Amino acid sequence: MNDHKSVGIVMIEDDEGHARLIEKNIRRAGILNDIRHFTDGTTALDFLFDAADGPAKSGPALILLDLNLPDMSGTDILARIKAEGSPLRRAPVVVLTTTDDKVEIQRCYDLGCNVYITKPVNYESFAQAIRQLGLFLSVIQVPSAES
Amino acid sequence: MARISLKLPQSEGRIARWLVAFMTLGFVALAAAAVAIGWITVRNARYTADILHTQDVRQAIATLQVEMEQSETARRGYLLTGLPLFSTAYETTAQRLAPALTALRSSTHDNPRQTARLDLIEPRVGQLRSLRTQSIALVDAGRIGEAQRRFAVDASVPLMRSIRYRLRAMAAEEVRLLEIRSDRQQRSNMLFLSVAGVAALLLLVVAILAILVIRRYTADLGASRDRLHLLNETLEDQVVERTADLSRANDEIQRFAYIVSHDLRSPLVNVMGFTAELAEAAAPLAALIDRAEAIAPEIVTPEARIAAREDLPEAIGFIRASTQKMDRLINAILKLSREGRRSITPEPVDPAAVGDAIVASIQHLIDDRGATVTIDRPLPALVTDRLALEQILSNLIENATKYLQPGRPGVIRLAGTRERNRVILSVIDNGRGIAPGDHQRVFDLFRRAGPQDQPGEGIGLAHVRALAYRLGGTIDVVSTLGEGATFRLNLPFDLRLQDPVA
Repeated sequence: MNDHKSVGIVMIEDDEGHARLIEKNIRRAGILNDIRHFTDGTTALDFLFDAADGPAKSGPALILLDLNLPDMSGTDILARIKAEGSPLRRAPVVVLTTTDDKVEIQRCYDLGCNVYITKPVNYESFAQAIRQLGLFLSVIQVPSAES
Repeated sequence: MARISLKLPQSEGRIARWLVAFMTLGFVALAAAAVAIGWITVRNARYTADILHTQDVRQAIATLQVEMEQSETARRGYLLTGLPLFSTAYETTAQRLAPALTALRSSTHDNPRQTARLDLIEPRVGQLRSLRTQSIALVDAGRIGEAQRRFAVDASVPLMRSIRYRLRAMAAEEVRLLEIRSDRQQRSNMLFLSVAGVAALLLLVVAILAILVIRRYTADLGASRDRLHLLNETLEDQVVERTADLSRANDEIQRFAYIVSHDLRSPLVNVMGFTAELAEAAAPLAALIDRAEAIAPEIVTPEARIAAREDLPEAIGFIRASTQKMDRLINAILKLSREGRRSITPEPVDPAAVGDAIVASIQHLIDDRGATVTIDRPLPALVTDRLALEQILSNLIENATKYLQPGRPGVIRLAGTRERNRVILSVIDNGRGIAPGDHQRVFDLFRRAGPQDQPGEGIGLAHVRALAYRLGGTIDVVSTLGEGATFRLNLPFDLRLQDPVA
């Protein structure tokens, strides 16, 4: 973990159930970082870029992103985060979604997504994947947002 | 689909039937006229013969008369002159009398009236001849005077007159007969002419009718041919149009299937996830009940015990099984839609080679199930997507080895024909067959037919049909329950010429 500031996890996920399951399993993996949950793209973008306590203004963050959102596509958010000149373009983004379409996966990596995970329906696999993600989160270095 | 009837309209058919009936009648009448003409001709010949006979009889009468007169003239000459010239002339002519008489008798023996007259003439001729012989003998002896005296008194002259009279009567009778016979012949000729005229008229009518019938049939044939031609022309377009429609509908369904299956997964993740959470939460509860039962049995109600030990695990088990099944179905739809979205690359393909590859890859399955697969050679080559064709044939052949009639070794054949610019590939088996009511149903997603004794989700044939549509083709099945099935895949010979939509 970051020495100076604890890394916040921003979860953008419209399905409350999924969000809960993800959170539970992250906690079970022993990750205690703060998790902020947003169910739509607009408020999530507001927080990411404009909120005083958001990652752009203060502290590094890791973003968990679902692609199927009610108000916009997750890829739009990904594009905003990874855009040239974005203060968050170095923030790691984990796309965690049900879409396993090859074209969509390629598109996400092209846009700069760091990890793409398909939510398996089989819960054991799902829990396993999230816990492994937790282990992964516990060792990666997350850069601070650019001022 | 437009259905074009090639049958003649009812009224036209009736007219054609009448025409044929008239023509038949005409031919019968013509045959009758020919028979009548033949009969009349035969009769005419008989009448002509009768007339000729009458002429002969007249000739014979005339000959007899001439001989009679000539011999009499010779006798009288001899009586007057005593010149031997007349004696010789008499001998010659008198000799001819008897044959002339015989000839006349033989030619009139059929006519009793003439015979009666001849019967009167003949004795008179005899008497006359003896009188003549006497006078000739007297002259020969030089007694000319006595001979002349005798001639003046004997019956020679009345006899001659009587014979002449009777011969004239005979001649008159023959003239009468000639008139009757000529008349009869003339009437017969008239009849012949009229019958011939009627026959000619009939011939004309039949000929006209025949021409009419032929023209009508030719026109009908021409019209049928034109319609058929038109049908053939439009059939191609119809097929292309229909497959384009199918292909569009298919694409839409693929998109729909993709979206639906995709969105169904989301809630399913929750159901599965929270069921697992529930199971995990149920475990400590069950442990608690166990402990409570051990330490303070009085606080454990039977309901609580049953709920923790039976109801909860059972409910969770059912939810799990159902969601797992749903997951499989959704994955199947997803796979189907993903296949549908795969891009199609037409290339020349030899179905026999594709068949060989499939048989090689599932040889162990074929052997295990005790079946044999044969592939006709040569199979018509076509230009299509190799992978899609491989998947279609593989599904069909594998199905054929899977659904065998118990107690009958499976015999599976891959056959093919080329029809214009379509190629029809058939997978023919002798398996358990499919009931006619299920022929459409088996191609529907998640639908299966017959005894459910083989594993499967009812996806294969739906997949096959979706692929067939994508290749601009169709698929159907011909089958009798218990006697095997034939799956016919109808594909365009060249997918590149088929439709640009695919």
